[in-house]
Amino acid sequence: MQLQHADKLKYIKVIMIIINLIAVLFVPGLLYITTQNIYDHFMARDFLQNVEAIPDDPFQLLFMAAGLFIALMISYFVREHHADSMKIIYTTIVADFVISIVIIWILNFNYNGVLFLVFANLITYAKGNKGKYLLMFLAIASFLIADFDLVGLNYPLFSIHDYIAYYDANTQKYILAFYNLMISLNMVAFIIYCIYVIQEQRGTIDEVSMLYEKLSQANEELQDANVQLKEYAAITEKIGETRERNRLAREIHDTLGHTLTGISAGVDACLATIDSKPNQAKHQLELIADVTRSGILDVRRSVNKLRPDALERLSLESAILELIREMNSVSGTMIHFASKVETLKFDEDEENAIYRVIQESVTNAIRHGKASNVWISIEKDEPKLLLTIQDDGIGCQEMKKGFGTRHITERIEMLNGTVQFDGSNGFAVHVQIPIRWGEEYD
Amino acid sequence: MIRTKKNLFMILICILLLGVVILYSYNASRSETLEIGVFVGSNWDVANANSYTIMDKAIERFERQNPDIKVHYYSGIPKEDYAEWLAGKMLIGKMPDVFMVLEDDFNKLASMGELKDLSTLMSRDAGFDKEAYYQTVLDTGTYYGKQYALPYEAVPNLMFVNKTLLQKEGISVPDNDWSWEDLYAICTKVTKDTNHDGILDQYGLYNYHWTEAVYANGASLFDKDGRQSFFTDERVEEAIKFVMKIEGVNKGNKVTQEDFDNGNVAFMPLPFSEYRTYKTYPYRIKKYTNFQWDCITLPAGSEGNNTSEINTLLIGISANTKKEAAAWAFLKTLTYDKDIQMDVFRYSQGASVLKNVTQSKEAEEILQQDMEESEKVIDTTLLNRVLEEGIIVPKFQNYTEAMAVAENDINQMIEGEKSIESSLKILQRSMKRYLAQ
Repeated sequence: MQLQHADKLKYIKVIMIIINLIAVLFVPGLLYITTQNIYDHFMARDFLQNVEAIPDDPFQLLFMAAGLFIALMISYFVREHHADSMKIIYTTIVADFVISIVIIWILNFNYNGVLFLVFANLITYAKGNKGKYLLMFLAIASFLIADFDLVGLNYPLFSIHDYIAYYDANTQKYILAFYNLMISLNMVAFIIYCIYVIQEQRGTIDEVSMLYEKLSQANEELQDANVQLKEYAAITEKIGETRERNRLAREIHDTLGHTLTGISAGVDACLATIDSKPNQAKHQLELIADVTRSGILDVRRSVNKLRPDALERLSLESAILELIREMNSVSGTMIHFASKVETLKFDEDEENAIYRVIQESVTNAIRHGKASNVWISIEKDEPKLLLTIQDDGIGCQEMKKGFGTRHITERIEMLNGTVQFDGSNGFAVHVQIPIRWGEEYD
Repeated sequence: MIRTKKNLFMILICILLLGVVILYSYNASRSETLEIGVFVGSNWDVANANSYTIMDKAIERFERQNPDIKVHYYSGIPKEDYAEWLAGKMLIGKMPDVFMVLEDDFNKLASMGELKDLSTLMSRDAGFDKEAYYQTVLDTGTYYGKQYALPYEAVPNLMFVNKTLLQKEGISVPDNDWSWEDLYAICTKVTKDTNHDGILDQYGLYNYHWTEAVYANGASLFDKDGRQSFFTDERVEEAIKFVMKIEGVNKGNKVTQEDFDNGNVAFMPLPFSEYRTYKTYPYRIKKYTNFQWDCITLPAGSEGNNTSEINTLLIGISANTKKEAAAWAFLKTLTYDKDIQMDVFRYSQGASVLKNVTQSKEAEEILQQDMEESEKVIDTTLLNRVLEEGIIVPKFQNYTEAMAVAENDINQMIEGEKSIESSLKILQRSMKRYLAQ
């Protein structure tokens, strides 16, 4: 179906080319033959009295028109064979346009139908808005301007009608009929061509709407899936909650329950023996004390596990110090902290960012930098807060994403701050955060 | 398979195109022959035995100076066929590089863009000074302010005086500052019936055209570009009235060429070329043999000078010439070379277009040659004055047609069929409409 259509378009275009070839050669051909006729009959002076202009050399004109048309054909063949390259299509269409203008020019605007060939190619090939509309505008403008009567107002032009008028009335009729027939045929061919192109484009529109239907169907399905997913997430959350509750229950049962049961049993035994066997009861109480202590330890450990993050329960400064203490105890890295800001109390998002950046940077310094010392400093530079984390690790010459740096950057950028990484001497993270110092927190 | 065939076809076409281009450019550059368009005989419709003498001399001189360029012309084209010959060449695109331009054809050739605009060639050539030409004569080669041709030969109009007749009537030949009143006085005096048969047989003036009166009265009919006409100018009206008045002296009798040739008319406007022809051997035995005659300026109107129309033979370069430099050099040889221009006096019937040639002693000596001892010779002072003060007919595209209309109307006025004042107003209006087209 598609192929047939393209073939039809091609045939019409070939017909248009043939019509234009005849018309383009007809003008200088008639001029040349008539000129010879006038010359042979010594009518030149009479003829010239009635014309505004004549071609410089009619034979040369015929020659040039033929040459230019061959150039037009070459451009056509090149385009047909490289229909996949937009560059070639545009180059050849522009070439067509220029050649057509030159043809119209040398024929002194006696035939401008050759521009229809450019139109036809523009309609078929040109895609993309800018180039297409520019060329279309140029082509239409030139077609309107390249009118014999319009140009002839200001410039002397030779007219084919002057040459036709040389013949007797009967011959004139036939020549004129032929000339006008060529012009009309060319237009008709162009219109048919346009109709086919429009039909083809309508086919494309049908296809597009079908695809669109499919797409919206898929979209609906996707929305359903999304709703289901949300429900699932809610369920999952509930499950998590339940699981957490169960864990808490188990933990209490395992530790506190176990210990309390032991204590309760021990105390009962003591009550029974305390009067008769005070020594045994004393020994029993010592055992109970041990169990209680170990129970307390267990409870503490459990509570620790259930505890939220340090920052949530502590102030920023304490959280940082806690972080440092933990890091110092688990690794061989020494972490130094120096703050020149009196009270480290900011908005929640700011504190959060500072804490995470320090956490991430220190982790990086230990994990990737193998650093033995990390220096953290916080300074105030109104209205900004300067945070620097410098280590003496191996650093890195080329910054690579994914060292947790992306995470840092994202956090700081959310506060409209800036981050600089420097891996040349150890590794340094320089952060600037515009702090909202507005209200002082005391 | 099909693809390679098509590619081969395309390559073939490309080669073909390239070959054609090379062949064409080779053809264009091959010939080093400068084509010249000239006609045989005089431009002034007088007999001329030395048609090609000047041209041959100019060519010989030019070829000596430019040994690598040959100059060629078709001989034997008579003046009456020249316009058709040139039009034919123009039509088939084989214009000669340098060619003579007839005054009637100049407008058409210039408007059709067949003549090269000489302005840049003139200003670029350090050895060329347009001041050397008579200004009015040079202006005949301009079209809408641009110089499209250079003058080669100039012919002013003079007034023929029948000295024998005036002597018989006891009147002395008027001097060169004479006026319409002088002319009218002489005309009334000499117009008479000498053999007393009741019919006038001696007249004062023959062939005096109304335009000559207009020019002599300091008026012009059109501006240079043909955008305006001045038929309602009082001086035009006065000139036409004067022509009517002087025609009235003849009391309705028509003066004929025969009357003039028989020596029965005192004055007749005459081109300088005819003066040269019929004053010198061998043609002086052909015409005006039974009386003595001479030439003076045309009489001045009350508002003007002793101005007369100047006709010129122009030479131009084809707009499509491929040998611009050579064509310009040859054009200069013909119109700017002092020796060649002196030959205009020697072998042709016109006057040189160069001031210092026309004013030279040598020119005067040439004019004196071949003349009878007793004859007074037109001196170069008179010639110089006429050329300097002369006027040229404006050159615009429809001048000939416009003048045909005016000619018809004004002749009717002179014959007394129409009132002058109102007719001139009507003519001016219709001319304005015509020029606006």
